[in-house]
Amino acid sequence: MTAPTRTTLQKLLSRFHFGVTLFAVALSGLTILLAGVAALRGYADRNLELAAQLGAYGVEPALVFNDPEAAREGLDPLTHIPGIARLLVLDDRGRPLTEWTSPHADPAPLLTDLFFGKPSTMTVRRNGSAIGTIEVWGDSSTLTAYVRIGLLAGLGCLLVTALGTIILARRFEYELVKPLGEIATVAHDVRLHRRFDKRVQPLGIAELDRLGGDINALLDELQGWQGHMESEHRMLAHRASHDPLTAMPNRAAFDEQLAQRIGKAGADGTRFALLFVDADNFKLANDSFGHAAGDALLVALSERIKATLRPGDFAARIGGDEFIVLVDPLDIATDPETLAGPIRTGMADPVVLPGGDTYRLAVSIGVAAFPTDGADPAALLTAADAAMYAEKLAKRSQT
Amino acid sequence: MLASLFLIGAAVTTPQMSVQAASQTIVEDGAAGVARAVDRMIGGIISYTRWPGDAPGTPPTMCVVGAPRLTSRPAPVLPGGGHVVVRRTTAAVATGGDDCDILYLGRMPVDDRRRLIAWVRDRPVLTISDDDPDCLYGAMFCLAEKPGGIGFSVNLDAIGRGPLRIDPRVLKIGRSDGGAP
Repeated sequence: MTAPTRTTLQKLLSRFHFGVTLFAVALSGLTILLAGVAALRGYADRNLELAAQLGAYGVEPALVFNDPEAAREGLDPLTHIPGIARLLVLDDRGRPLTEWTSPHADPAPLLTDLFFGKPSTMTVRRNGSAIGTIEVWGDSSTLTAYVRIGLLAGLGCLLVTALGTIILARRFEYELVKPLGEIATVAHDVRLHRRFDKRVQPLGIAELDRLGGDINALLDELQGWQGHMESEHRMLAHRASHDPLTAMPNRAAFDEQLAQRIGKAGADGTRFALLFVDADNFKLANDSFGHAAGDALLVALSERIKATLRPGDFAARIGGDEFIVLVDPLDIATDPETLAGPIRTGMADPVVLPGGDTYRLAVSIGVAAFPTDGADPAALLTAADAAMYAEKLAKRSQT
Repeated sequence: MLASLFLIGAAVTTPQMSVQAASQTIVEDGAAGVARAVDRMIGGIISYTRWPGDAPGTPPTMCVVGAPRLTSRPAPVLPGGGHVVVRRTTAAVATGGDDCDILYLGRMPVDDRRRLIAWVRDRPVLTISDDDPDCLYGAMFCLAEKPGGIGFSVNLDAIGRGPLRIDPRVLKIGRSDGGAP
């Protein structure tokens, strides 16, 4: 199976135009030529008839006196008429008195046979009785001249037709193909580059303008769907990477972030710190004030952690009451152990619970620095977790 | 006086200028052939001649004076039929009456011929001579035997003087030089 050969609309129109015009020109040209030939033939016949009459008048005395020389003189005016090939004067007994043949060769003997096969014959009369006959044979010279001019004119017409067709096709390209091209460009842009904001401009041709309008309406809908899909997508992505309660990044987002930052710090040779924050008395508050209070505590905790963040830092909730803060970058001069200070300070104010009670939060914080405490995510986390747990144990042993 | 001067002038100039034998009729062999050709030629000339007040249907009368040289009994054959009354007569009778439409002049005394020509002037009478090959003596048409047949010449001056109307095509045939006097 072969692919169908494609052509452009312009070529199609051009071909169509040329065909139609050619047909019209050929038809009218042929009609005029045929009508002209028919009319000319009539004139030629009449011409021969008149020539025969003139000849009959001229040779009449010559026939009376049976004088060939006088007959030749009588025929002389006829020999200057174009389109006469042969003249023949016969006396009353049918014997030729004189004869004349044109010195010019017949341009088209076939045409002559076809149109002038028979001579124009005129009986010469004197006082009512026939004294002889004159025969005038025509030739096709006038006819061929006309046909030649006709064909030349036809050729000229064809040239004009070709020119006119080219101009018409150009005009059509401008008026029809260009708007179609605009529509196609818009459709192409939309499909290839997802440019849903593109629109077809108003067009001069009613049908194409309607098509453009429909395409615009379709694009409006597509743009709406696209916007809706994008916001949905963003929401889903946020939901997948964030904790719904505190709106902080979740464990998955944190793992990704940690891997990125290790890669970057490793490449740049910089340091950063990982703080493991765990609420000490969360379970107690949950048990004594209810889950709503627990949730309020978690939200308050996340707010206070967020408040300590510098630009570039990252905080995430990775478990029930477990938070992580990435302090990045970490100066050479800064001791990682001091980083927990601002968070502890943030916990000083009691949290107001939904029931009106207040509750004082306490957190244990473990710090681990990259790359000194661990060079991969698991090692860093383990180190921070261990430090946090050590602090928690120390607090319990105090009470 | 003026007329006689003109006559002399015409007699001197016409042989070259306007009285050239030109017609050359094809003639069949034998004396009968010559006679037929002469009859036909006379008939042709008569048929191209119009008499003033010509009544169609009345046959013209041809008076033969003198002894015809080309034919013994001239009998004009008109093309398309028609009839010519032929009568032999003498110069005296012809000039005495008024019933000759055509004078056929054969061989005759010079005086007779001169008298007849003078009488014809201004009269509607056609003169045909067969005894004047160069057409010098005042006849309108002169028949003559030529090497190839019978021919006629035209004396335009004689025709111009009379009231007869001759078809110009015939005058053209009777004139080979193509010029006018």
